[in-house]
Amino acid sequence: MAAHRLRRAKRKAGAAMNAGTPGRGGVFDVSSPGLGAGESLPGKVKWCVIGSGPAGATVARALAKAGQEVVVLEEGPDRQGEKLTQRDGEMYDQLYMGRGGRTTSDLSMSVLGGRVLGGGSVINACDVVPIHRSVLRVWQKQFGLSEYSAEALAEDEQAALADLSVNRPDKSTLNRNNALLLSGCERLGFRSEIMQHNRVGCVGLGTCFLGCPASAKRNARTVQIPQAVADGVRFFVRARAKRIEPMGKKRHLVTVRALDERGYHETREFVIEAEQVILAAGAIPTGELLLRSGLAKGHAGRRFLLQPQLPIAAFFAEPVRCFSGIPQSVAVTEFENLEDATHGFWGFRIESIGGTPGIVSTMLPTVGPEGQTHMQRYAHLAGALLLHPDAPSDTSRLEVERNGRLLIHYTLSAEQKQRLRQSVDAAVRLFLAAGAQEVVVPMPPGLVFRELSDLPKLARLAFEPATVPLISAHQMGTARMGPSAKTAACSPSGELYDAPGVFVFDSSLFPSSPSSHIMAPVLTIAHHLSRRLLSRTV
Amino acid sequence: MTANPFACLARRRFLRYSLAGFALLVGGGTGGLLGLRGCAQDHLGLRALSAQDFRTLSALAEAILPAGNGFPKGARELLLPEAFDHFLADEPEFVASDLRMALTLVEFGPVWFSGRAATFSHLPAQKRLALFLAWSQSERLLLRQVTLAFRKFFCLVFYDHEEVWPHIGYDGPSAKRVLR
Repeated sequence: MAAHRLRRAKRKAGAAMNAGTPGRGGVFDVSSPGLGAGESLPGKVKWCVIGSGPAGATVARALAKAGQEVVVLEEGPDRQGEKLTQRDGEMYDQLYMGRGGRTTSDLSMSVLGGRVLGGGSVINACDVVPIHRSVLRVWQKQFGLSEYSAEALAEDEQAALADLSVNRPDKSTLNRNNALLLSGCERLGFRSEIMQHNRVGCVGLGTCFLGCPASAKRNARTVQIPQAVADGVRFFVRARAKRIEPMGKKRHLVTVRALDERGYHETREFVIEAEQVILAAGAIPTGELLLRSGLAKGHAGRRFLLQPQLPIAAFFAEPVRCFSGIPQSVAVTEFENLEDATHGFWGFRIESIGGTPGIVSTMLPTVGPEGQTHMQRYAHLAGALLLHPDAPSDTSRLEVERNGRLLIHYTLSAEQKQRLRQSVDAAVRLFLAAGAQEVVVPMPPGLVFRELSDLPKLARLAFEPATVPLISAHQMGTARMGPSAKTAACSPSGELYDAPGVFVFDSSLFPSSPSSHIMAPVLTIAHHLSRRLLSRTV
Repeated sequence: MTANPFACLARRRFLRYSLAGFALLVGGGTGGLLGLRGCAQDHLGLRALSAQDFRTLSALAEAILPAGNGFPKGARELLLPEAFDHFLADEPEFVASDLRMALTLVEFGPVWFSGRAATFSHLPAQKRLALFLAWSQSERLLLRQVTLAFRKFFCLVFYDHEEVWPHIGYDGPSAKRVLR
């Protein structure tokens, strides 16, 4: 059946199904008919990587460096420099999965992920927090990942941090939003830190979540992808992988749909015949593709983690201008528990957050004249994001409906709601200590705290579905790794148990939250798995 | 052009309410309810919505982001309903149909949920806003979902508009100034 489909696709595509130009790397836009002079769509390749974020770009670069033929498929466009317009509407539409509107099925939580060449690393906040050692101990003990020790990953973590040019911003570079959070910590005696990041030559444009027009992020687009291209990797953008069909251990058909120029509509289909396939599209798209392909049966898209975040706002008498400078530098670590016996990393963390007016307005509690009054004080607004590590739950499940719609089922547990309330309590205290006139929790019609005696209002925060605008920026665990096919989708080397030759390399593998930010953990694991793959392949 | 806050609206729940609505229509007199709604004027250039749905959407936009209160132009004057229609035209059909159902729910919501004798777009703007705010705190999940989805879209697009920035103290994208 699949062979018949391949023959039919080859006939349909005709000359465009040639093997392309092996050895010549580049970024090719399949939304452009004909791809430009002399270029053609890939037909038969050795390695097909799906997703061009930190994981996909890292493994593609490693394979190419070892002389392997690699193509990478990316659903999003290639956007750099002036094409990153710093406008909410256009950038969420173009750089994010589901045009920025992907949510859990009950609409309670926005599920954000990159859909652009370079993936999430193009639109994240640049925070570098490596895997906590205590989490690795839990992975070894509870999840049977005996190879995942701090010692075994040390070399990979170093490589990841080198890719990121990791450094710590100087205190003098903090914008007022971050400085206010830090001053609140100092007054209350809360533990805090200035976070490590992967910016070099930052000019403080303030729109990291919409990409960096100054190319100051040392991310997959500015580091791994140019190196991979130099070694011959071909990146195809606006190419949506729809299905993987294993035809044997060394033969897999990947059905791909080319998208139109804006990425809204599928325009034509082509099939790539790959010896081996690596999924690195991010946890939700990877889980979705596995479900569509009928792979990792019983495990794909189950018990995943969303690591919920809640934004809150505080208004100050003096201007804050949260939209200018590095949006997220300070983390309040007072309430993090890095020695939690069950999870290794638990509690919560508070970080400063700033943003452009469109997205900030969606995080305020009300509309009408009262909502407009809030936004008239936008320049006086400081933001904080409350981050909560997550654990696998039976209520988390991806579902693909017959009409093609992806449903992300996720329910907050009573324990999570309790932690959310605790984190709001701490954030209110912090902002009030920093001199805020009022702190606003985005629950309609608005939960406003002007003094500590207002704190009993917290009891009204029930966190019922679709009441507060929760956010997930760190999705994980849709195809967990483990020592047995009974308990996991993938082996510790990332290979699917039920489809040899198909690998997962992204955060889908994580059995629990490795840290508060997943870019460094994803890169570390990608380096580790690439090394293991090359040791057995080349 | 705009974000999509509607990708995962709970279809089954919409269907359930639609069936309930249908039963009400039959029980309460289809002619009566449709009569309350009345006919909407044609609006040229619509790509995804009917004239009826567009009228509901415009009434909603006007209520939640009105002109005045320091904003010379509101959502309607900045053509956000038109932007929403264009956005919807490029969404998968299951999203578009959910949103049409959501607009039906909004239009007949005052009759079904609040016992009023007028549909949404026939209410004065202040009453529309009051109803919308009440729904955002409703015990009914569906009503909260509908308000959340429309609020996200309209707020994101409204405050991204350059004509709004002078009124909120935002000086616009910084790259051209800083990287000059």
